[in-house]
Amino acid sequence: MSESNASPERPPLVRLSQVHLSFGSNHVLKGIDLRVRQGDAVSIIGPSGSGKSTILRCINGLLTPERGEVVVGGTPVHSLRTEAERIALRKRIGFVFQQYNLFPHLTVLQNIVLAPTRILGLERETAEREARELLAKVRLADKDDAYPGQLSGGQQQRVAIARALAMRPDLVLFDEVTSALDPETVGEVLSVIRQLVEDGMTCLLVTHEMRFAEEVSHEIVFTEGGEIVEHGTPRDIFHAPRNPRTHAFINALRN
Amino acid sequence: MSESWLPAFVAAARSVGLNYGFLLNAFERAAWIDGVVVSIELSALGIVSSLIVGMVIAAALTSGRPYLDRPARAFVELVRNTPTLVQIFCAFFVVNMLISQALGGPQNNPLTAYAWVVIVLSLHYGAYHAEALRAGIEAVPRAMRESAVSLGFSRREILTHVELPLAVRFAWPSLVNNMVDLVKATSLGSAIAVGEVTYASLMIWVNGDNVLELMIFILLVYAALTLLVAGLGTLVENRLRMPGYGQ
Repeated sequence: MSESNASPERPPLVRLSQVHLSFGSNHVLKGIDLRVRQGDAVSIIGPSGSGKSTILRCINGLLTPERGEVVVGGTPVHSLRTEAERIALRKRIGFVFQQYNLFPHLTVLQNIVLAPTRILGLERETAEREARELLAKVRLADKDDAYPGQLSGGQQQRVAIARALAMRPDLVLFDEVTSALDPETVGEVLSVIRQLVEDGMTCLLVTHEMRFAEEVSHEIVFTEGGEIVEHGTPRDIFHAPRNPRTHAFINALRN
Repeated sequence: MSESWLPAFVAAARSVGLNYGFLLNAFERAAWIDGVVVSIELSALGIVSSLIVGMVIAAALTSGRPYLDRPARAFVELVRNTPTLVQIFCAFFVVNMLISQALGGPQNNPLTAYAWVVIVLSLHYGAYHAEALRAGIEAVPRAMRESAVSLGFSRREILTHVELPLAVRFAWPSLVNNMVDLVKATSLGSAIAVGEVTYASLMIWVNGDNVLELMIFILLVYAALTLLVAGLGTLVENRLRMPGYGQ
């Protein structure tokens, strides 16, 4: 798959240049450069605390870098100042979290239609029809009336993906979306993401599922200590890493 | 309709030494029943408006904006640290008088003692509701807020669609507690001659030797009202239950 989409001319949908960010004295991002082209799936791998999730939060404006540029589809995220500007950005970016974060007081269907009706101003009927289509896509068509608390982790995560997709995003960010799941439900979530990638959705994933990352990604980015150590095709990173730190990380996982 | 059994009740009570003769006096009976109705009205109006006040103050307290949360905090402290009865006196005898003066005389002042009881109880219990709701809002996981932000919700939409619905659920037992308290506090209206059931009873027992008898009635009225509020509270609690949450 990595070959089919790898034409370098396509402009990047997401571009990070020399992004720096600190939490107090903790220098979390130390000059991140990253590009995600339209239609690509890019996976960020690396040890815990290497700044992977922080990168995602800079892209949708949950965090603002101290230095550097974050540009998403022409929008300079680093220089957005008002809430309205950030909302306009976030409408275009889906975000799926490790802990699903569904609204526990709303049914599955209500969870999915809340943002499209309130924020995009969709008619309830339209929103519900689209929500049901999305539920069918994530293979939960019969769960529309269930509450999040009645679903397994894997099912909740698939609802969370449907909720993100209901906003018709240009890009979906996945932040360790299988890390909180039982091993047997990881597969059902990954197959939904795999389908999205095949459909051409631009996806940026932070993941510890190396086999999955290798299989679906067009590009792998390895981060450590707030820096991007190496990036390349899955084949290069997993089978012929040039950097010794990448090599050590991949090897440690193999054993 | 009640005429047939009332004399029988009064006679039966008399045989055990209780004097409920006032029930046979149409004027006193009507005044007392009016008192019960007024108590119910004050309770209902107070509960609804105190909840609205509570949500507004809780929103201010958790807004993170000093020009909102500082006045809200000062208000809550003022309310909690002064007696309710003193607040009612202060509202009716001081604030009401100032309003009357500003309007050029009491005849131009639309606010009655009845209105002041509703206002003071709403603000007083609103402050207590606000603290319960603040606890509820702060119990909403940060990640939940982050996911709403990521969907594109504004600060206000997150409050109305995510934080308050969850906060009301988390705070509900405390809110019901406050509402039960509010029902009992309507009796303070008697201090400024609002004809609720305590005042109506007082007006009857000053004319007769029936304090004990009216006390028993008062007890039953407040018990019925507070049990009703607690019962409705449980019904609402079941309606608000989030299936599977926290399991």
